[in-house]
Amino acid sequence: MIELKDLSYVRVGTQQLDAAEMFATKALGLQVGERGPKSVYLRSDDRAHTLCYYEGDPAEHTVAFEVTDTGCLDAAAGTLEALGHPVLSGNAEACAARKVRAFIAFRDPTGNSIELVVAPERSGKRYFASRDAGITGFSHVGLNTTNPKRDEKFWTQVCNARVSDRIGDIALMRVNAIHHTIALAPAAGPGIQHVNHQVTSNDDVLRSYYHLSNLKVPIVFGPGRHPTSGARFLYFRGPGDMVFEYSVGVDEIADEETHRPRQFGFEPSSLCMWGSKTNFVKT
Amino acid sequence: MKPVGAVDLAYVRMQSADPAASARFLADIFGLQTVPARHDDIAFRSDDRSQSLTLAAAGESAVGMELGASADFDRIHSDLQRDGHAVREASTDECARRFVRRALIARDASGNTIDFVLQPYRSGRRFFATRDAGVTGLKCVGLRSLDVAHDLAFWRAIGNVEESDRVGEIAYLRIDSAHHRLALYPSRRKGLLYVTFAVQNLDFLMQNFYFLQEHQIKIVHGPGREAASGQAFLRFVGPDDQVYCFGCDMLEPDAARHRPRQFTFDKNALCSWGSECQGVPELQAPA
Repeated sequence: MIELKDLSYVRVGTQQLDAAEMFATKALGLQVGERGPKSVYLRSDDRAHTLCYYEGDPAEHTVAFEVTDTGCLDAAAGTLEALGHPVLSGNAEACAARKVRAFIAFRDPTGNSIELVVAPERSGKRYFASRDAGITGFSHVGLNTTNPKRDEKFWTQVCNARVSDRIGDIALMRVNAIHHTIALAPAAGPGIQHVNHQVTSNDDVLRSYYHLSNLKVPIVFGPGRHPTSGARFLYFRGPGDMVFEYSVGVDEIADEETHRPRQFGFEPSSLCMWGSKTNFVKT
Repeated sequence: MKPVGAVDLAYVRMQSADPAASARFLADIFGLQTVPARHDDIAFRSDDRSQSLTLAAAGESAVGMELGASADFDRIHSDLQRDGHAVREASTDECARRFVRRALIARDASGNTIDFVLQPYRSGRRFFATRDAGVTGLKCVGLRSLDVAHDLAFWRAIGNVEESDRVGEIAYLRIDSAHHRLALYPSRRKGLLYVTFAVQNLDFLMQNFYFLQEHQIKIVHGPGREAASGQAFLRFVGPDDQVYCFGCDMLEPDAARHRPRQFTFDKNALCSWGSECQGVPELQAPA
């Protein structure tokens, strides 16, 4: 079984690097960690980067997970190839571009571009936000799925994720105590459905609601509260139509042994217990 | 002996041009429970009191303050008279309509009617809401003031009313552990600016937000958070253009250590989340 330890970073292509950086700092509140000639590395916590925009196709989205060491990486490569997922090993230049010691790249059953990385860099310098959004760090992704049941099997049997709860067929899966690190989202094709950063308090969620509304950033869902994780949330749209989420108060699953996933009906009140409605997830 | 003074916000009496419409609104939106009437006022419960909001068949809007001791009743009567405020004892019928043993009906410096009451009745039956709005009781009242300094002198005469904080000229007044139960807002006219019912928690506040939106009730301020009191709030308009409010999570300052703060009069002091008030001049501040 492939042991995913943590979510590491997200890489997103863009044709408008300046606009992406502007949004990531002024609207989202991330900090520029480093700028390359064709890329910008953004920080949200003590990691060297958690979001990288690079000059490329906006439809290219990559999600990276950390594994323990190169031994695990090699074992994972073997497992994936045996299952029919071609694996690419990162060369020195590609590793440097991702600030990792080693990585492999493959596609999940939906075709999402996934990287498994070893030793992603931490920064010695504290994260300092570009605006007072209250961000504590990059936390989870919504990942597109063209077949929720098939992909749930992949993440829970080939990899070590566990289902925390389900909404209809959509699995919210954890790789540690945090309620979910991967949320599957039904879609027509691969891609990241949303990128979540945790914030410190309810006040941060509501402050951002007004701040982003004033900036005319489209609010796609919320302010609301997920009955599944308990988190208070706000979803909004950024460059390339990528959706970002702030949330606070994600539950932890303390007892691995006995937790049984709950089943929620696929309806609006399962996504928001306050009553917020959205077109972002079609119910 | 130190005066006990006002120990609680007891009730609000309101005038309505269409009492039936107001009654429907109060039941539908707040889930308030009607009290069987022995007269033509329409009374509502929101907690263990016999009534906390009444649509008065006649007479002016009023705020009822519960006094802790009958000694204060007589003292306040004479002190307010001495200071030139209109004040008289309520009749038997007036007390019955207020569900209290005794009442003083007074006017503050702006002309707002303030009742000071002894022994407001408690109901033997538990409050049962008509809608799951999460209401726990009458929390606070905003009053329009023609002259905040003069109205503050009126309230100080009661004995135990403390100023918690100021936002510009707006004064938040404390009588118990809550940051405020009354707030005075500079205005061109007197009257009840808003009536706030507390809800259990932010979940209820936000559920009520989406409920109001779905029912096309006009939201004028919020959801927001008062910077001085920490109260999360949602203000909206009902019949007669009366502003109502849901509130939760109001802070309880440490009375021994709290010194009144002066906040800059801007929108951030009225809402630290950044909401702006639409259409209520007393709640509008520069950005």
